[in-house]
Amino acid sequence: MSTPPRIAFVSPRFSEGPTVGGAETLLRQLSERLVAKGWEVDFLTTCARNHFTWENEIHPGQATIAGINVHYFPVDSGRNLDTFITLQNRICRHADLTRDEELSWQSNNVNSRALYHYLKTEGHKYHRIVMGPYLFALVYFASQIHPEKTLLLPCLHDESFAYLKTIREMFQNVKGWIFNTEPERDLAQRLYGLDLAKAHVVGMGINGFEANPTAFRQRHHLTAPYLIYSGRREPMKGIPILLDYLDIFRERTNVDIKLVLTGSGPYAPPTRLVPHILDLGFVPEQEKHDAMAGAVAFCHPSVNESFSIVILESWLAGTPVLVHGAGDVMPDHCKKSNGGLWFRNYPEFEESLSLLLAKPALREALGKAGQHYVQHNYDWRTVDSRLLAALS
Amino acid sequence: MNTGLFEIGAEGVDVQRIMADIQETVALKMQSGAYAGVQLARAERFNLMNMKKDENFFDFYMESLREAVFIDINDFEIRERRAAFAPLLVKLKKIIWSLLKFYTYRLWSQQNQVNGLLLSATEEVDRKYRDKIKALEDRIVKLESKLPPG
Repeated sequence: MSTPPRIAFVSPRFSEGPTVGGAETLLRQLSERLVAKGWEVDFLTTCARNHFTWENEIHPGQATIAGINVHYFPVDSGRNLDTFITLQNRICRHADLTRDEELSWQSNNVNSRALYHYLKTEGHKYHRIVMGPYLFALVYFASQIHPEKTLLLPCLHDESFAYLKTIREMFQNVKGWIFNTEPERDLAQRLYGLDLAKAHVVGMGINGFEANPTAFRQRHHLTAPYLIYSGRREPMKGIPILLDYLDIFRERTNVDIKLVLTGSGPYAPPTRLVPHILDLGFVPEQEKHDAMAGAVAFCHPSVNESFSIVILESWLAGTPVLVHGAGDVMPDHCKKSNGGLWFRNYPEFEESLSLLLAKPALREALGKAGQHYVQHNYDWRTVDSRLLAALS
Repeated sequence: MNTGLFEIGAEGVDVQRIMADIQETVALKMQSGAYAGVQLARAERFNLMNMKKDENFFDFYMESLREAVFIDINDFEIRERRAAFAPLLVKLKKIIWSLLKFYTYRLWSQQNQVNGLLLSATEEVDRKYRDKIKALEDRIVKLESKLPPG
């Protein structure tokens, strides 16, 4: 009997329990698919759960989770946070850093010498090493250990970090790249001049589900129409834009529309909007799907998405999406699926939302078109074949 | 129909056409003044970074900002919606306002000055870079015209 192929995934966090993030979820899901196909999968990660503090919360060592051998390595202590934050602020302002400054930023970012040592000594055992997302130093330094077998799964956005010299070098050094969408691949090609023959668009499969919007409305005594957003509530995700827009929409149109939020993170809504927000925090998947199914639309105000699992889930729930049009990925999903509208400014938001509220038949048609798009492009069989082609 | 790897979605709905209609409606409403003023300036405070690809809307935003930049710090009509003791409450509010005004007028008028100066600076930077870009574009055209054909 032949030995099963062996692969390692490398990421700063492993998606488990309260550790949530699109990239982490994606890497875990791909790992599980390979386990199901008989591959031997190691997941090399840090002991951290919190992506702000990077505290070592999990014991170093190994655990088997859903058939994946998860190796936890401690995050290095002794980061110079002042240097890191000063440089990071300059990067965010698009300042031109020298290569040494970039390396200093990387060195004071999240690193794990124990993980690098493991890769150096054990890396030869792996057929392929897949790592991401791109903006963590852990990935930058790990990618230099076995570049000849490393595939980068970057979750790339058009943001200041993507323009760094060291990031460019990382993209150019590795064997290949696994992208989530075509716009993400095109962005990487534009920034780094990649050989498209080594670039694979894979994405993630989304499992179908049943949803009960009526039960959700009853449970939460919701009678008014509502928009929904699920995920991290961070400024980078555009949450302040959504809160301001909805507040002004309510003021200008006198339409009583609510906002349902699931996920985590602090946010500061305008005072007038507070009574009209139903903040559910972390909820079971079923509750999230029920909430999505009952919404007028799923609103995603971020311009920094490389895939967006939640809008695909919303389409599976039969709900159209309303996304920020300044990004590349989500409007592309909408154009390809005919499943959603987009806005670049408040007037477009108001017109789009008014249209969705006024035309239930349009909402239904958009939701169905989105559902069809996900079922045909993001069912696991299709994704599996793209993944195996990328790893071959 | 397919483009690249991914299948184009269901027939019957064309979101690009819908968006074109929406954008046309927005343009008309902007011309008519339906979106002008303080509200729009406030709505876009977190969206400015995303407008870098949309120069026309940025111009419109600057117009809205010009209208919104000076806070109204003058006296206003003081009312009371509760019927009981309304005259008394109005009188009380007027006293409170006159006391507050004594302290806040200087503060808000200075804030208005700062707002006005910041807007002027933003307009000047915008004008300066537009002139600079125009000069560079003209120079490129001039240099390209000097290149040999082919």
